[in-house]
Amino acid sequence: MASTVIGAGITIEGEIATDEDVVVAGTVRGKLSAKEAVTIEHGATVEADVTGGSLVVAGSLTGNVTAVERVDLQSGARVIGNVKAARVTIADGAQFKGNVDMDV
Amino acid sequence: MPVLASRATPMAQPRTTTRDGEARIGSSARIRGRIHGEGNLVIEGHVHGDVTVRGDLTIAEGASVSSQVVEAHALTIAGELEGEVNASGPVTLAAGARVRGNLRGSAVAIDEGARFSGRLECEFDLPPELGGASRTEGRARAAGRR
Repeated sequence: MASTVIGAGITIEGEIATDEDVVVAGTVRGKLSAKEAVTIEHGATVEADVTGGSLVVAGSLTGNVTAVERVDLQSGARVIGNVKAARVTIADGAQFKGNVDMDV
Repeated sequence: MPVLASRATPMAQPRTTTRDGEARIGSSARIRGRIHGEGNLVIEGHVHGDVTVRGDLTIAEGASVSSQVVEAHALTIAGELEGEVNASGPVTLAAGARVRGNLRGSAVAIDEGARFSGRLECEFDLPPELGGASRTEGRARAAGRR
């Protein structure tokens, strides 16, 4: 169960830091750092640098991404920014513009 | 919300998808900045910044919120809150709540064991025996602890 859920109608402007999971279905602007999994759902808008244990993106993300484990860009995802993780997948149907760095 | 397709990856666990307008700030989360939007919000973590939601706001036990202004419909506080509260619905200070600031709501309830320091402002109908015929703005000054 996700510990922090940013619902579809909610906007956070600022800095979020947590040791647990984060699910974003709304809007985040600023900075997002979690120790566990970060999920950016379809319909969500994130304009932030994101760090997490792992990251799944199905929504829109603008910003640089660093994950300890892996980054999965799912179909429908729209990502502009650099991705840094040991394992990265980009699904068919995902849009991505930026650099990938798997030399972690 | 669409359920994320489960994938054959070790990290992609099934997760709860959010219902519309449902939001929660988990107990280990710290937020510096502004939170606003529609729908209900539950804060279990620590928030430093203004919170404005159209729906109900719950500040759970163990949570702390420090803001200039907190705006919501119904507001339930069991944690710590510092700042001005502007609720369009009822405000409840549950046992264990610690609140510093002015409270405005359609109704205010302070439970036994809650601590409140500030001013209460709420509109209510005075009973006829107290001479209240129509809506009167009641202003109570409450300070210290209960």
